[in-house]
Amino acid sequence: MTELLNMVIIDGLSFALPLFIMAIGGIYSEKSGITNLALEGFQGVGAFAGAFAAVFLAQYTAGPMPCYFSFLFAMIGGGVFALLHALLCIRFRANQVISGVVMNILAVAMTTFLTKRINAAVFGNAGNKFMLGTIARFTVPGLSDIPVLGAIFTNVYPFEGFILVVAAVMSCVLYCTPFGLRLRACGDNPHAADAAGVDVNRVRTVAVVISGCLSGIAGMSFAYSISANFSADIFLGYGYLSIAALIFGNWTILPAFWACLLFGFAHSGGMALILRLGLPSSYNDLVRILPYVLTLVLLIFFSRHNRSPRALGEPYEKGKR
Amino acid sequence: MSEQDFIVEMRGITRRFPGITACDGVSIQIRKGEIYAILGENGAGKSTLMSMLFGMIEPDEGEIYIRGKRERIDSPRRATQLSIGMVHQHFCLVSNYTVAENIILGMEPKKKWGFFPMVDIAGANAEVAALSERYGLKVNPEDVIEDLSVATQQRVEILKMLYREAEILIFDEPTAVLTPQEILAFLNIVRGLRDQGKTVILITHKLEEIKQVADRCAILRRGKLITVMDVSSSSTSDMARMMVGREVSFTTPKAPHDFGPAVLRLENLTVGNAVGCNAVNSVSFEVRAGEVLGIAGVSGNGQNELADSIMGLRKSQSGKIFLNGRDITGLSVRERVEAGIAYIPEDRHNVGLVLDFTLRDNLMLRQYYQAKFTHRHFMDEAAFEKYGEELIRRYDIRSNQGGATIVRSMSGGNQQKAIIARELDLKTPLVVFMQPTRGLDAGAVSNIHRRIIEERDRGAAVLLISLDLDEIMDCSDTVAVIFGGRISRIAPAASLTVDEIGLYMMGVRGGEVA
Repeated sequence: MTELLNMVIIDGLSFALPLFIMAIGGIYSEKSGITNLALEGFQGVGAFAGAFAAVFLAQYTAGPMPCYFSFLFAMIGGGVFALLHALLCIRFRANQVISGVVMNILAVAMTTFLTKRINAAVFGNAGNKFMLGTIARFTVPGLSDIPVLGAIFTNVYPFEGFILVVAAVMSCVLYCTPFGLRLRACGDNPHAADAAGVDVNRVRTVAVVISGCLSGIAGMSFAYSISANFSADIFLGYGYLSIAALIFGNWTILPAFWACLLFGFAHSGGMALILRLGLPSSYNDLVRILPYVLTLVLLIFFSRHNRSPRALGEPYEKGKR
Repeated sequence: MSEQDFIVEMRGITRRFPGITACDGVSIQIRKGEIYAILGENGAGKSTLMSMLFGMIEPDEGEIYIRGKRERIDSPRRATQLSIGMVHQHFCLVSNYTVAENIILGMEPKKKWGFFPMVDIAGANAEVAALSERYGLKVNPEDVIEDLSVATQQRVEILKMLYREAEILIFDEPTAVLTPQEILAFLNIVRGLRDQGKTVILITHKLEEIKQVADRCAILRRGKLITVMDVSSSSTSDMARMMVGREVSFTTPKAPHDFGPAVLRLENLTVGNAVGCNAVNSVSFEVRAGEVLGIAGVSGNGQNELADSIMGLRKSQSGKIFLNGRDITGLSVRERVEAGIAYIPEDRHNVGLVLDFTLRDNLMLRQYYQAKFTHRHFMDEAAFEKYGEELIRRYDIRSNQGGATIVRSMSGGNQQKAIIARELDLKTPLVVFMQPTRGLDAGAVSNIHRRIIEERDRGAAVLLISLDLDEIMDCSDTVAVIFGGRISRIAPAASLTVDEIGLYMMGVRGGEVA
């Protein structure tokens, strides 16, 4: 039983934290006023870029270097791809929902195609995935011996710590710095921000790119943990789950964290339940829907009280009020 | 007089919009430290002219000199650098930020935390408190904007300019949303600003205010500068004549007569608002045939909810509504229209009209389903056209393609005429006017006031809900004041003064009826 509980906590955290960093990305984008349904696509493209970098570097060097670089490139990849969403939504004033959906479809098609081509051209094999393996986990000595809560410090993926650090920095930037103040103003009343000398469209572009970078971290984390490779299987809808988390969190970071934890534990708890009941692994797919069912149920309670940023989804036009 | 004496000089400013020249070769010169009013009807080009001074739009022709130097003001940012500030008619505030956060936005005081630049919010609060002290503009830096009254939000806007060390302060229709007492306080603030050496530009169409505070006054009509007057040596009627281009009467002629039986009767009506609070709280009153009941009040005191619940757009929580003695509380909107209510809503664009329909179809919205306009369950286009053309003619609705015009392309005044034609032609025993003249110019306003009186003289009961106290006083037989969702005073118009109503509007007095 303890073992099962430990498993729920360990797997729950390793699922929840990537969701969380992606949700922060979404909060950045939406707080600045740009609807972002494209997190799913961003994380996938980020994972693609990172996985390619890792596999490429692994040809020349062993050790942890490819892994570090994979996260760097995942952020760059997610960020560059996000720039496209920013361009469509801000420069060309496209409908932000449609642009987001298009980003997601484009991400799946593009990465699938490119993975095959790159495998053939660069690595000389015919696979449709980049093999990564999982990264080594570590256990914090001492802290991991605490009953129950010790599981938090047991079998931790390195990226979990990285995500927490990045999340802390990003919260600070959003809530304590001038940039964060301006960013949140753009999502509530861009006219006020503009009148105060803030370049609304630039702030929004930066915010969308940040959401791409953070989603890239999430995608790379999934690639290194759940799937152990990069393939089109990375597009499992986790991006949408993090959107749900940020909405339950009322577009604020800390409550979104709790929502992500809830999803994480729903995910791992379901898996544990199957183990416990000794059901065949084909039931895994059934359990995977658990977080989504939870989403539907929570939506009933939360939707009424939550308030989205006032200018969310509206392209900013100077002079139009 | 040398150029240096003028802090602002605009020469030959012309700005065209598709189909209209908003400003046509306007030249004005403003001295440092004066209160300069810009007077004109809606659409005269006042706001356009000042938007160019604040860099929101750029002139097609003409030059702007600030402190004697020619400047190209291409953005509000540039204007701010030139120490020009503007308070817009619709405030430009971030609703979920505190007062201090709004004021410092874009020019945040910083403190370093390691290499991390952080907003010094404590310092900002102190600075805003000091600023508010210095100019006598009472605000609490830590209040959140959406909890504040309109007058306080306006003070925040002023502080925002002062924080940016603005020397030239532009106000666009600053008193449109204030109660009489708040207006007095505002005018005192403006005098105070002038005494501290600021230059104040007031855009307004309210002559009384100009007379009270302004030093000079530029009068615009249809984009052209008519004249610049010394306020102290000219009378308000002179200014009014210059503004409108003809003699105007400030009152609507109204023959006295007796009221009939009660048409609309509310009994302890309670209505909730969007967030579930009671916006209208146990309100009871009646409107008699041939009576105009004016409901005065500051925006957001339950007027919208009251009108919506009478029309059936919003469910009441308790209480009853009677029309000619019949309980209509549970009826749908269509049933109420058929029972005899006409409604001129506040929000013409979303409630009153379908903007992308033609004028003709909009005129039919109340009656399209009735037998005389259908032919075997299909709409009878010929009948539509005949009826539409008749209304257009009778109510003088002007548009470029007659009945086939898309309503979105029509002017606000003609859109309102279309709604009025549609509703009044139903000849119902009750007519509800909600803010009927909002955003319309003086000509259209007097036209609508005449219609209101005509309805009354026809024997209809008229409920007039307006934020414009002058309108209420001008048209009403009886005035009710709404404050906090309750009727705090109800009395014959003749027995009330504007100041007295103002006190009730702010909740200073009340309790007799509630």
